[in-house]
Amino acid sequence: MAFGKNGKPLREFHMLKLSRTLLYLIYFLSKTPRLATVLLYLLRPLYVPVRETFLNKKFRYGLLTFGAGLLSPDVLKAYGYGARAIIDNINEVIRNAREGRPIVWVEWILNPEMLDAFDVTSFNSAILNVFGNAYGAEGPYSLIEEAEKFGVPVEYCSAMKLDMGAYITGQIPRPALTIAGSHPCDTNVSITQSFEYLLGVPSFIFDVPYWKDGYSYEYFEKQVWEQIDFLEKNLGRKIDWDRLRDMLERLNKFNYYLSEICEMQRATPCPGTHFNLLFAWVVRELNVRSPHAIKMTEALYRAVKKRYDRGKGVVKKEKIRVLLWFPPIAFFTYLFKWMEHEFGAVVVADFIGNVSTVQIDTSSKESMIRDFAVTQMHLAMGRQCHGPAEFITDEMVSYIDGYSVDCMIFTGHQGCKHGWAAAKIIQDTCKKKNLPALYLSIDIMDQRHLDEQGVRNQITEFFRSHGWVE
Amino acid sequence: MGGMKVFEKIRNLAEKDFNEYLDAEKQKGRKIIGYFCSYVPEEILHAAGFVPYRMRAVGSGSTARGDVYFASLNCTFVRHCFSKALEGDFAFLEGVVFMNGCDHTRRMYDNWRHARLAPSYLHMFTAPHLINPLALDHFEGELQKFKKSLEDHFGLIITPESLIESMQVYNRKRALLAEISSIRKDPAVPIKGSEFLALMLAVTAQPVEEAVTLLEEVREACRGRRTAREGDLRIFLSAGCVEEISHLELIEECGGAVVADNLCMGSRHYDALTDASQPPLRALAERYLTHLSCPRMMNDFRRRLKYMADVREGYAVDAVIAEKLKFCDLWGGEIFLYRQESKKRDFPLLTLERELYGGGTGQIRTRLQAFFEQIRNRRTIAGDPVRSDSSNEVRH
Repeated sequence: MAFGKNGKPLREFHMLKLSRTLLYLIYFLSKTPRLATVLLYLLRPLYVPVRETFLNKKFRYGLLTFGAGLLSPDVLKAYGYGARAIIDNINEVIRNAREGRPIVWVEWILNPEMLDAFDVTSFNSAILNVFGNAYGAEGPYSLIEEAEKFGVPVEYCSAMKLDMGAYITGQIPRPALTIAGSHPCDTNVSITQSFEYLLGVPSFIFDVPYWKDGYSYEYFEKQVWEQIDFLEKNLGRKIDWDRLRDMLERLNKFNYYLSEICEMQRATPCPGTHFNLLFAWVVRELNVRSPHAIKMTEALYRAVKKRYDRGKGVVKKEKIRVLLWFPPIAFFTYLFKWMEHEFGAVVVADFIGNVSTVQIDTSSKESMIRDFAVTQMHLAMGRQCHGPAEFITDEMVSYIDGYSVDCMIFTGHQGCKHGWAAAKIIQDTCKKKNLPALYLSIDIMDQRHLDEQGVRNQITEFFRSHGWVE
Repeated sequence: MGGMKVFEKIRNLAEKDFNEYLDAEKQKGRKIIGYFCSYVPEEILHAAGFVPYRMRAVGSGSTARGDVYFASLNCTFVRHCFSKALEGDFAFLEGVVFMNGCDHTRRMYDNWRHARLAPSYLHMFTAPHLINPLALDHFEGELQKFKKSLEDHFGLIITPESLIESMQVYNRKRALLAEISSIRKDPAVPIKGSEFLALMLAVTAQPVEEAVTLLEEVREACRGRRTAREGDLRIFLSAGCVEEISHLELIEECGGAVVADNLCMGSRHYDALTDASQPPLRALAERYLTHLSCPRMMNDFRRRLKYMADVREGYAVDAVIAEKLKFCDLWGGEIFLYRQESKKRDFPLLTLERELYGGGTGQIRTRLQAFFEQIRNRRTIAGDPVRSDSSNEVRH
């Protein structure tokens, strides 16, 4: 089990700590956003036009992710809050692991709000899916390889293999309890059982119903009540309803700001980079419990609103409006700013960042749990992937119609079997809408399948072949 | 009917997707409804007056037409079945019931509708991924929805009495299957694994009443029968979709006798009876949710493991063969866990990855031969006090 320097095993939490370093860098840069923007812009030749090298590998991904000097200072400042929220969670997790205090793993499509009501540390085991790139391009796929060497099926979605690799190499902490679910795919159904077997800790599993109707919501709601019982029993403490109310009120605010941003993205020109919504999703997944999470969405909302009110777009001359469909490319988060900068192509909606949920009625325990259940079932990926193909295509069509989209880029992730099984339906839907579409065959976690340059080439050719760019 | 004749008849039925029994029922005006997965309650279809037909890829020559709708990352069972659907091979069906068994099969429901394939009754039946009281209540509701959809579409009423009658006849069928399967405990192995698979294919493609008669004949034909050869290794076979009789014959040719299984077309089909003393839908929900599970059930691995341990002991199993079709996450994960257990409990395990009707016989034969040879060598060494070595494990 080794892929560190000179083949030596990585130190415990090494990649988690690298992620934290990267986030600290962003956090400190965001303290002086104007200066940071200028600096990041001036230093672009060191990390933007070139591939990852020995010299830039530790910072290239991070600086590209945070806009490479192309984000406006107010947006960079907002990202600083988000970075702080994640840093706080990493610090708490590392401290708990050292001191032997409980950490609860919460799966990536089930957010950690409920754990706030128990005042217990939550951790999303998928954190290195995104920030593992801080180690360099080989970070994520080295973890994937470790999982495969351990015997995890190669055909699993690489996101899940990466989680397993992170666990067996000691890059993420061992939990006291786990919370998981049966969506969005078979890999999740399967690996949850493997983790349960290997960890040997109590695990609560949500059985996510296939449909979205009253009967299904009610079933999920009952499971949320059971989750409370499970946590009370295994943590040896009672739920604090006031804390839950406070958390859900903050969640309402969080979702409100993001929903407003989604609405503003409909405008032509589009006022914000769509990466804002994706970063907010990452923060939500990792630590929506932090007060910094709200600060981030509020600041993002203000930044986008300012442009929206002035009728200004995120790029000076918007040429192409893109719908990005299916999970975004984790190793190429710069995709958004690159398309904007290079082609005036703006992603206006996507599979993950767009928010579709309800506001939670916090007037009673019952209403809180009822609406909280709905918000959980409406989380990105969960809401589209757990039912019939219409859950994917209806939302897609609503974006095509509502966001004045010129084209679609489909990020066909290798591990997503149900996604590929619906590809013809998606293709035919686009044809019917007369929408040009690029179908990428990609592994969103593992760039050995199609790397950053490969993605750039295919997108460039796609735009050229449709006459949108020279 | 003579012993050999009945096995020939079974073989003949198993090798066709449509047979004379189905044809006769159609002539009588009885509707045939196809269903995927062992979680779909046949009793409800039967109580509605239909003949439940377990969907299969038997007779498929290629996945070419299905490949237009499914990707190369989807399993060959789905691609073969969908090709057959596009070819019109399922034209004899009046309805198809789909299941959220896995990511590949659940998209069959979507693509079937998208391709506007007949018949007009297409129902997505869903089952929980957990076994617990809450899931059971929810599942009972799903059964109720399923019953209602049949009643609404076909304009009929499914009475509690007819459900009870159906439960009784299906219990009879399951009990007979379990009994025939269990006679493989006998060292003589009166029915081969390949013959038992053929039997499963036959009785899931004929009216249950005929199936019961056939099973009674088979039970008789098995009396005093011996298929075991000297030195055969007794095998437990665990997998998802296996419907090629030739594949089991290959295991037998190489010196294995499949004496027990955890297959869709095997023990998962007949494990557990319905409790006729309960209200019908509740009883069905309980039976179908709690029967021997497949890896789609997330909180049941320990029970599957216990089943395997009990069977290994009860059937004097020498080795386990676990198989999966390519790109099957669920069985991939199950096999990963089997490997962990095989290390812990030190039982011989061979894991195979295959394509349905995908050939590769030579490669599989070599792996089987090597595996069986290792087990035999291990026994020889274990019996030799000088060469005995506790670290001599067999794992492929």
